[in-house]
Amino acid sequence: MSGNGAQKQPLLDLRGLSLSFGGLTVIDGLDLHVDEHEIVSVIGPNGAGKTTLFNLITGAYRPDEGDILLDGESLVGLPSHKINQRGVARTFQTLRLFLNMTVKENVMAAQYGHTRSSIVEQMLQLPRARREEREINAFAEEKLGFFGERLMGYRWNQPAYSLSYANRRRLEIARATASRPRILLLDEPAAGMNPVETHEITELIGKLREEGGFTILLIEHDMHVVEGISDRVIALDHGVKIAEGSFDQVATNPRVVEAYLGTSAAVTK
Amino acid sequence: MSTVLAFQLQTWNFFFRELVSGLAVGSLYALIALGYTMVYGVLKLLNFAHGDVYMVGAYIGFFVLNALGSPLSPVMPIVPLILLAFAASMVGCGLLGVVVERFAYRPLRNAPRIAPLISAIGVSFFLQQTAVLLWSPNPRSYDTFSLHPGSSGIGELFHTAFTIGNFSIQYVQLVVILSTIALMIGLSLFVWKTRTGKAMRAVSFDAEASSMMGIDVDRVITVTFLIGSALAGAAGVMTGLIYQQLNPYMGFGAGLKAFTAAVVGGIGNIGGAVLGGLLIGLTETFTVGYLSSQFSDLILYSILVVFMLFRSTGIRGAPVLQKV
Amino acid sequence: MSTESPSQQPATSPQIGVDEWVQRSGERIAGPGGLLRLADRTPPVLLLAAFIGIACAVPLLTSNGYVIGVDADTLLYVLLAIGLNVAVGWAGILDLGYVVFYGFAAYLFAELSSAHYDIHWATWQTVPLVVAATVLLGFVLALPSRRLNGDYLAIVMLFFLQMFNNFTTNGYAWNWLGLSGSHDVTGGPTGVTNIDPFRIFGHVMGPGPRDYVFVTAAGIFVVAILFHYVNRSRTGRAWRALREDPLAAEMMGIPVKWLSLLAVAVGAGVAGFAGSVNGAYYQGVFPDTFMFPLLITVYAMVILGGAGSLGGVVFGAVVVNVLLEILRTPDHARWVFYAAMILGLLAKLRPWRLLGALVAGVAVFGVVAHEIVGAVWARGVGGPIATGPTSFTTHGFWATLIRHWMVLPKNTYTAEDYRIGNYAFVIVIVLVLACTALKGWKRWALLVPTIWGACFVWETVLIEQNPVVRPLFLGVILIVLMATRPAGLFGKTRVEIV
Ligand SMILES: Nc1ncnc2c1ncn2[C@@H]1O[C@H](COP(=O)(O)OP(=O)(O)OP(=O)(O)O)[C@@H](O)[C@H]1O
Ligand SMILES: [Mg+2]
Repeated sequence: MSGNGAQKQPLLDLRGLSLSFGGLTVIDGLDLHVDEHEIVSVIGPNGAGKTTLFNLITGAYRPDEGDILLDGESLVGLPSHKINQRGVARTFQTLRLFLNMTVKENVMAAQYGHTRSSIVEQMLQLPRARREEREINAFAEEKLGFFGERLMGYRWNQPAYSLSYANRRRLEIARATASRPRILLLDEPAAGMNPVETHEITELIGKLREEGGFTILLIEHDMHVVEGISDRVIALDHGVKIAEGSFDQVATNPRVVEAYLGTSAAVTK
Repeated sequence: MSTVLAFQLQTWNFFFRELVSGLAVGSLYALIALGYTMVYGVLKLLNFAHGDVYMVGAYIGFFVLNALGSPLSPVMPIVPLILLAFAASMVGCGLLGVVVERFAYRPLRNAPRIAPLISAIGVSFFLQQTAVLLWSPNPRSYDTFSLHPGSSGIGELFHTAFTIGNFSIQYVQLVVILSTIALMIGLSLFVWKTRTGKAMRAVSFDAEASSMMGIDVDRVITVTFLIGSALAGAAGVMTGLIYQQLNPYMGFGAGLKAFTAAVVGGIGNIGGAVLGGLLIGLTETFTVGYLSSQFSDLILYSILVVFMLFRSTGIRGAPVLQKV
Repeated sequence: MSTESPSQQPATSPQIGVDEWVQRSGERIAGPGGLLRLADRTPPVLLLAAFIGIACAVPLLTSNGYVIGVDADTLLYVLLAIGLNVAVGWAGILDLGYVVFYGFAAYLFAELSSAHYDIHWATWQTVPLVVAATVLLGFVLALPSRRLNGDYLAIVMLFFLQMFNNFTTNGYAWNWLGLSGSHDVTGGPTGVTNIDPFRIFGHVMGPGPRDYVFVTAAGIFVVAILFHYVNRSRTGRAWRALREDPLAAEMMGIPVKWLSLLAVAVGAGVAGFAGSVNGAYYQGVFPDTFMFPLLITVYAMVILGGAGSLGGVVFGAVVVNVLLEILRTPDHARWVFYAAMILGLLAKLRPWRLLGALVAGVAVFGVVAHEIVGAVWARGVGGPIATGPTSFTTHGFWATLIRHWMVLPKNTYTAEDYRIGNYAFVIVIVLVLACTALKGWKRWALLVPTIWGACFVWETVLIEQNPVVRPLFLGVILIVLMATRPAGLFGKTRVEIV
């Protein structure tokens, strides 16, 4: 397929996606698309299926039904590392850094899919292995540089576990960008951050799109973040898309309000 | 015509004999597997030393029988004697299991995942070599008292069989199968009906949350080791009764098979462990009986590899998805 | 990990310096100790060269065949430990089938260079072939890692070891499971003997360990350098990533399954070379060699040194094998025993006064015990001191000391005395465990009888029983290390949950 149609082909296109665990339907016939260079936010109450959506896209789970297209090509059934190499990278809500590796190594490791030297070349330190090593080193420093002072030089050779919580979140983003994706899936990047840091991360996400050229699909509970940067917001509840549109449209949508606050009887919460 | 029939009868007899002995061996594996499955449930630890606890149990039974029921001057009649052997072995192994947990695993609760497993391998090796040191590497044999001539002799019980038509079952096999069933029912009642059993299930579901809900996780783990190891002790005595032979290395292979039984039955699942044990016991017996006795390990373990590959979530366990 | 959303926590303003504090605390946790710091500062190549130099100097400096033999054995273990470290230390895969690769290679080498099949290939043909075949076997046996991981994978690898043992022990009558005539593949319990030695450029190596010291040392030199580079390259980094978090690694574009296979296979390649050396050096391969105890030995080496650190595992292999050798002779073993005990106390006991009190206590305890036992049970004291042929503890100062301090039953070989030793062994274990459980002065008080009891068990039972003591010692290494320093001597302490 190519983008010759009247409408531009979306970068990421989910069609009729469904997944259930045993009897529990977590994602239910979901259609969702993200256009190139767009920032789309997914919101929804706890357990709505947002993280599961990311797990489906990245191949951790396989959908029961539906299709996931990246640039028109299906990702369903591919192993996760292939999906990553096609251009999808994510961060984790629960933070899954390589804790005992250094900050820089975390970022360098993510470039595995973009290096080619064989183990024999590495053993013998043949030119290609050495060149690639230099390249990913420089690339990693560049990616870390994106975060300015926060992940600056003196921290590069510290183990990742020595970072503060907020910096671990930043490092996760740096690691994800280092795998050279076209679309970044960020799972609650502002979780656990204080207002200053939240503001910073909001700006950073904008910068990732402007300077990094990434398309971004974002899960976030913090409405300030969502409001600040989203081109489009999608609300999920029980795996069903209940609203889509601009932040204001979605935020005022009665179904969304109800999903967050329960029926009017339960507003006391 | 009649020769064919006789032949068929013989093969059927053989099959039946193998079936019964497979069930008996399977019961042993089941009992050992229960310990693996319970410990894995609460601690997510492959308690490598469990097979060696079972070995120690076999020795305890041996010493009790030897001391009190020696062929020439038996101190007591056969049935209480055997019950005593079971009791001693179960208590001894239960304590051993608790001690192992307390000193080798508990300090490692927060260590990297691989540490307790390595420690368990070390304990296994340590127990095995201690047995070699204390009791010599040469096999011992429960057989001696079966020579006892009196009517109360162990031989009476063990070498007579009870027959239905053409088929016969040794009493000892019956004893083993029935006591396994009894122990299993007891365990199920314990797990499902008592408070401690409930706590055990809670811990195996989510240890952290359980401890926040006020469950004394350490105590539950201790009880788990106590019960699991006691069952292994019982299995040890039964092994002595069936096979008569025991040696310090017997725990290793039995442990591997029993752990596989636990996995095949769905780890953490009590009924599954019993099913898995029986399945593996039967597989082993039929392998030896019909395929090859020399290469039985080769064949059996190949089958176990296949079991592990295709049933790693178990016959009865639900497929586990990794939460991300 | 909990799937609880952290976003529920109210955002708090940062405490000043929190970030820095976390960073410092990280340093505190993983701060290199003395040994590690020294090893860290020396360039690795220098360390390696020094090690190879010392190892190769041994056969040049002495003509004592036993010492050279230990040297060669140790180097072989070093090679094995380096190979195992790839899967266990770097990729974090508990490769319990490792010994299969070693055994397979030894047997393959034996069958390609002996009268068994009457094949006598040249060394330059056999060794590469054996290594290649072993790497291939590594890939095959690691295939279960595509569906299993962690404990399950480990246990399946152990199944392969059981299968291999079964096959080699009974392989003298292999019949393709009844489909063909019986056929001798492995030589059965007596193995394959009269294996050709290595022949390199027309030079026949051996018999005897001398030449194999050089061959193995050369192997270690090459392998260590190659692995050092791999560890610093994309593959090594990817291995570490998958050890840390396979799922995250997979999602960052790292083909975890392939890399697991690769780690096992690369390690197997080293075992393949070591196996060839084993065949040529010992000129015979036997099924009993390649069993669980060997696996434990190599694991103890890797873990003692520090899985993941090349220098560490080399060090671990040397220490463990040399100690195991020393334990063979009662005289030497005695020194190791007392030295280890004193070192252990020195490391653990901080106030020196306490140490002095303890030593005095143990001495007094021993003398008193000696007197009491002598009074109650005359035969219980004055027995012979267990020694080797070259002992200097049978006579003189040390002997007198031991005689007056230790209870040594006469006729050490009566069944009764053995039983006493056995009970004492169990009691000492209980005492040791009790010591670890107690705190404060109670522990110190209990240490006195514990130490004396340990010496008693050592002098009366263990010292004579090296076939049991050596494996016991390995088991103890694993347990004690896991409880005290899971990262090993040179390994970096890893943080898993923060
Ligand atoms: N592997 C799994 N097995 C069973 N149920 C699962 C699994 N993963 C997720 N679920 C369930 O699916 C539902 C959606 O979970 P998900 O993590 O996607 O929620 P979420 O929208 O990300 O919530 P939050 O805002 O708390 O992060 C939950 O009810 C969860 O318990
Ligand atoms: Mg989520």
